[in-house]
Amino acid sequence: MAWDFQTIRNQAQKEADSICDNTSLESFRIKYLGKKGLIPQVYASLSTASKEDKPLLGKNANELKNFISGLIEEKKLSVKDTINQSSKSNIDVTLPGVANDLGHSHLLTQTMDEICGLFEKLGFIVQEGPEIETEFNNFDALNIPSNHPSRDGFDTFYVDQVDPGDKDKKLLLRSQTSPVQIRVMKANKPPLAVVVPGKVYRPDAVDASHSFMFHQIEGLLVDQDIKFSHLKGLLTTFCNRFFGDNIKMRFRPHFFPFTEPSAEIDISWEKGKKDWLEIMGCGMVHPQVFKAVGYPKGKYTGLAFGLGVERIAMLRYGIRDIRLFYENDKRFLEQF
Amino acid sequence: MKISLNWIKDYVEVKIPPGSLADKLTMAGLEVENVSLVRGDTIFEVEVTPNRPDCLNMIGIAREISAVLNKELALPRTGKLSKADAICDIKIEDKKGCLRYIGTVVENISIQQAPKELLKRINSLGLREINNIVDITNFCLLETGQPLHAFDYDKLAGGRIIVRRAKDGEKIVTIDDIERALDPSILVIADAEKPVAIAGIMGGKETEVTASTRNILLESAYFDPIIVRKASRKLGLSSDSSYRFERGVDYPTVENCSNRALSLILKEAGGKIVKSSDIKVTGRNKAAKEIVIEKEKIDSFLGTDTSVTQCKNIFDKLGFDVKVDKQKVFTIVPPSFRGDIVQEVDIIEEVARIIGYDNLPLSMPSIKVSNISESKEIQLRKKIKQILMAQGCSETVTYTMISQKNLNDSKLSDIEKLNIVNPLSQDQEMMRPSLLPSMLSRVQFNLNRGQKDISLFEAGKIYTNKGEKETLAVIMTGVALRDWRKLKQNNVDFIDIKGIVGKVFSGTGIQDSAVSYKISELPFFAGENAQIFLRGKKIGAVGRICQEVLDAWDIKGASVVFAEVDLESFYSGSFSKKKYFPVIEYPIVTRDISLAIKKDILFDEIRNIVFNDNNDIMHNFNLIEEYLGENLPGKEYKGLVCSCKYQSKTGTLKEEEVTKVHERICQSLIDKIGAIRR
Repeated sequence: MAWDFQTIRNQAQKEADSICDNTSLESFRIKYLGKKGLIPQVYASLSTASKEDKPLLGKNANELKNFISGLIEEKKLSVKDTINQSSKSNIDVTLPGVANDLGHSHLLTQTMDEICGLFEKLGFIVQEGPEIETEFNNFDALNIPSNHPSRDGFDTFYVDQVDPGDKDKKLLLRSQTSPVQIRVMKANKPPLAVVVPGKVYRPDAVDASHSFMFHQIEGLLVDQDIKFSHLKGLLTTFCNRFFGDNIKMRFRPHFFPFTEPSAEIDISWEKGKKDWLEIMGCGMVHPQVFKAVGYPKGKYTGLAFGLGVERIAMLRYGIRDIRLFYENDKRFLEQF
Repeated sequence: MKISLNWIKDYVEVKIPPGSLADKLTMAGLEVENVSLVRGDTIFEVEVTPNRPDCLNMIGIAREISAVLNKELALPRTGKLSKADAICDIKIEDKKGCLRYIGTVVENISIQQAPKELLKRINSLGLREINNIVDITNFCLLETGQPLHAFDYDKLAGGRIIVRRAKDGEKIVTIDDIERALDPSILVIADAEKPVAIAGIMGGKETEVTASTRNILLESAYFDPIIVRKASRKLGLSSDSSYRFERGVDYPTVENCSNRALSLILKEAGGKIVKSSDIKVTGRNKAAKEIVIEKEKIDSFLGTDTSVTQCKNIFDKLGFDVKVDKQKVFTIVPPSFRGDIVQEVDIIEEVARIIGYDNLPLSMPSIKVSNISESKEIQLRKKIKQILMAQGCSETVTYTMISQKNLNDSKLSDIEKLNIVNPLSQDQEMMRPSLLPSMLSRVQFNLNRGQKDISLFEAGKIYTNKGEKETLAVIMTGVALRDWRKLKQNNVDFIDIKGIVGKVFSGTGIQDSAVSYKISELPFFAGENAQIFLRGKKIGAVGRICQEVLDAWDIKGASVVFAEVDLESFYSGSFSKKKYFPVIEYPIVTRDISLAIKKDILFDEIRNIVFNDNNDIMHNFNLIEEYLGENLPGKEYKGLVCSCKYQSKTGTLKEEEVTKVHERICQSLIDKIGAIRR
């Protein structure tokens, strides 16, 4: 049988040109390349061809097959484009997408996580402790005198529960996260480096800058040769990482019963401006505190620091009223 | 506290501008909070920390400045006083309340205006002019920090002074014309008959020095800080005197200041000292202890390289008695007014402070690995929060103090609770025993502010007299997922919140089979509610809040669902160990079953029958649809469509294998719970 390869080609090309979807492409493929298609028939005719005709016929058959395959590949791509083009015209791509709303982590949690995270990168471990505390952990062990005004009901909340370790005393709501220092030191020998986030309580009437409940982060580093220069180095690093490299900061002498020497850290955001903002307290752990937790005299030195989370968040995000944190207005929560 | 720069200059030379001085004082620990110019003087507002009562006066501040600026301190000179011929009738009955009392009677004084220079000084610190005697006592208080009081001697009954506790029922009209009721917790100065002053706080009106006063008794005393503080708080009355007594005055200054005032009185008001007594309660004035410290210790603690001269100069300027030997060891006796200096670190701090913290070096510590590790709780809590946020819930942080009314409104009145002994108000009278009131109040708050779709959670604590317990609460109202393609938006219900709680379990690696739900009857829930069990242990509840509670909280027109989970039980019951199971590549065959079953049959019963069939190809069983309505065998029936997914671990399943198992399961459902195939 003689094949008119040129006519077949022209015919195939014509058919291919009219292919516009996958269905017509598939029937085209079956017509030529399918089991009973034209190309297999061409190959089948090879067996009956004369010896002289065979080489040319074989060559033509191969060329035709390649030509058809090429057409199919080409059409596959153009069919895809057509489909894409047709869907483009069908949908208004500016319609809003639909998905679950994302929940938001509370700004206080985010701030605490970020601050703790910075210290964790420096080798500190996060520890937590109870909010209901003993007078010993909250005051005695922190070198706060037994007659100190902060112990009375104007400055500390007491709960209606007797201290199991001292039947004459009631338990209290910790007024600082520092009692966790005492718990950590009592349970562990140095070296230790911990950072402690948590709630604290003080009987302050609520207004734009006061709250009876707020959050603190406390840090403690104890080892055999911790120096005052380490305190400066560590907290300078923290402030630069948290507030940025371009802040000014100063260590201002202050007084805390549980540290000596003690300091407050002030920062200033804007260059040339002399507005110092107090951001945290710190100092070298007082020897009386080491004594209270039973560490041998003179063996260890340490540094400690503490900051108010609300205050830091207010400064950083320009929040003017501390009550916003506890109102939990959805429109507040979803901003962070 | 206010300080006057002009006044300070009486004792120490200051040549730097006020702004620089303010900075230097701040950086030495006396924070200058405000600087203002008043009539040619500069007034600093200084915050004095409670450990430094010695700085609550001009001389104390001048001493600090002399150390900071390295200038000499010139103390005022007190002229020689003539000795009194007679003693004063003074008795200290309360030896705890008063350690020392010096009383001096001056006769024949003339009351007039105090000298201009003195008035200028006290005016600059905000005290108004009264008369020369009172103005002198005020001047001496501001100068030395020792409060003084002058009585009109002729008005003291019996000419006596008794330091004692007030008796119940006693009263006194203080110089501010207010009558004050006294009690035995309050220390008073009494004459032979009645209280004439509230010790350390304020004098009485009746015995005050007036224009007609001729003879005075000048009091200089040491009153107990705690007794003064408590009385001051009790009476709601504080004064320049009480402020200083509360923080502790200096024992020797009691006498020095008395002499200073007397010499000024004799000079400005004339008169003659006729009687005087200095009554001391013995054994209460401890001598300061010696502190020995090597220079090397100071340097190693601070990371500095100071010189002996530098340190010694600092100690000298601060009024310390200091000796130093050839080995560079300092032996220091702090002055009586520096009760805060008791050990080495206190000395180190003085050096650091005067050099200035900003001038000290900084370095990074090498932080060693310790055996402390972060608790599993912290990690799990973080994970739980992530899961809930992914479900669209936002985290709240609410007050942990609530009221009994909050509990009643939440139908929790009988719950065990932990009261606060000294609450700020009834709104915060107890520590919350449940998170429900906190969460309801936040829903109400947001609804009132126009927010309709609310999904909140808190991982917070609840408190009872057994202690505190970490708890998770989720509360939702409105529509969880708004989809504009749907005509009707579904309000959240029991199934939604159950689904979210379920994610908390599955997302933290707890298998579905470990969690079960049983209907419960918690009072704050409406019909749809369940208790949650983890491996058979009750760990929480989930359900729809009943109308009565919503009404009590003034939550209108909203359906609210709530879940609470005890996180501590959760932490102890969750397993962090994960193990790999090979993923099976053989195809899954899905067969649906459509059943009509009685409404009182629980889905769990169906599940159990399905999974109890003895086969090893049941892969998954899911509810596809619940149908209530027409075309059911009866009103007591509901329609369920479930899908069964079958898969073999060893090969491709054959139709017959699946059919055999599937039909057997269907038959069990028919036999055991009366299901009807549809």
